[in-house]
Amino acid sequence: MSGYRFDRLKILVVDDNAHMRKLVTAILQAFGVVQIYEADNGQRAWAVLRESNPDIIVLDWVMEGMSGLELVQMIRTNPATPNPFVPVIMLTGHTSIDHVMQARDAGVNEFIAKPVSVKTMMSRLVAVIEHPRPYVRTNGYFGPCRRRRGAEEYRGPERRAESKQQAAE
Amino acid sequence: MARQQPIELFMPPNMLKAKAGGGLGGADMAAMKRAEAAMDTLKGEFTDWMAHDVKALMGARTGYAGKPDAQTRAALMRAAHDIKGNAPTFNFPLIARVAGSLSKLIGELPAGQTVPSTLVDAHVNAVLVIHKQNIQTTDDKMAQILCAELDSRVEEALKGPKT
Repeated sequence: MSGYRFDRLKILVVDDNAHMRKLVTAILQAFGVVQIYEADNGQRAWAVLRESNPDIIVLDWVMEGMSGLELVQMIRTNPATPNPFVPVIMLTGHTSIDHVMQARDAGVNEFIAKPVSVKTMMSRLVAVIEHPRPYVRTNGYFGPCRRRRGAEEYRGPERRAESKQQAAE
Repeated sequence: MARQQPIELFMPPNMLKAKAGGGLGGADMAAMKRAEAAMDTLKGEFTDWMAHDVKALMGARTGYAGKPDAQTRAALMRAAHDIKGNAPTFNFPLIARVAGSLSKLIGELPAGQTVPSTLVDAHVNAVLVIHKQNIQTTDDKMAQILCAELDSRVEEALKGPKT
C-alpha cells in the first residue's frame, strides 16, 4: 500500500463528453479524491482553473472551441495562469506517435490513450506525483522537459526548431 | 543547421508530493480495487452512453449532409473522434474501429475536398447496426468484413480518383 493522500488533491476534469467525465470522476472518487472540478470545454476550464487552482488537470484533446492543446498552451504561457507548472494528463482517443509528440510539444506531462482503465489512471497519477519532469524555458516553449531521460545533463543548444507553442503564436 | 539558443532547465519544488505524501510510492492497490468496483457499477450504463454518442454522430451526419462546410465537418469529426475514444471503454470495440476509420477519412481528406456522403453514411450505418445488434466483441465475422470493407474504401478515397 502506498498511502497516498488523494483526499488532499484538487483535480480538474475537462471533457466535452458528460459520460466520460462521469467515468473519470468515479475513478478519481474511488481513489479518494474529494475535490473534483469539472468543465465541458476549454473556456470553462480556464475559468474554473483560475478560480480553483487545481493540483492536477485531466484533459480531453478534441473539444468544440478551445482544444485541449490550446488550453495547455494557455496554462503554460498566459500570465494570468494560477500555476504554469500544474501537471496535465491528456486523456484522448488520439493514439498515434505523432499525436503523442504534439501533446508533448504543447506542454502535456502525461498521456493516456483511451480506453480508460483504472490501472492507467493510477499509474499516471503516481507518475506526476513521484516522477515530476524538470521544466524548460526556450524562446518558443515553456513546459515540462520533452526529454524523458538525461535532461539534467543536457547543456547544449535548443534543437527543436519548431514547437507547438511557437507555431501557435 | 540547429538553432543556437539558450535553454533554461529547472526543477520546480514538488508540491504535489508534499501534499499527497505516499512515502513508499507505487500504485495504491486498495484504491484501485475500489475504482474497479466503481467502474463495474457504471458498466450497466455503458450501452445507454454508447446510444447517446451514436445519436450525436447521427445528428452530426445530418448536419454535414444538409450543409457541408468547415463547421459541420468539424462537428462530424468531433462526433466520430468521441466515439473512437469512448467506444472501447464502453465495450464496443468494433464501433470504435468504424469510428476510427471515419475519423481518418475526415481528418486526412484535404480541407477543400468534400467528404463523400456515401462513405460517411456507410460508416454511420455500420455504427448503427453494430450498436443495434449489441456486438460487444471483435469476433463477429460479418462485422469484421464490414469494417475491413470500410477501411479499404477509406484508403481508396484518400488516394484520390484513379487516373
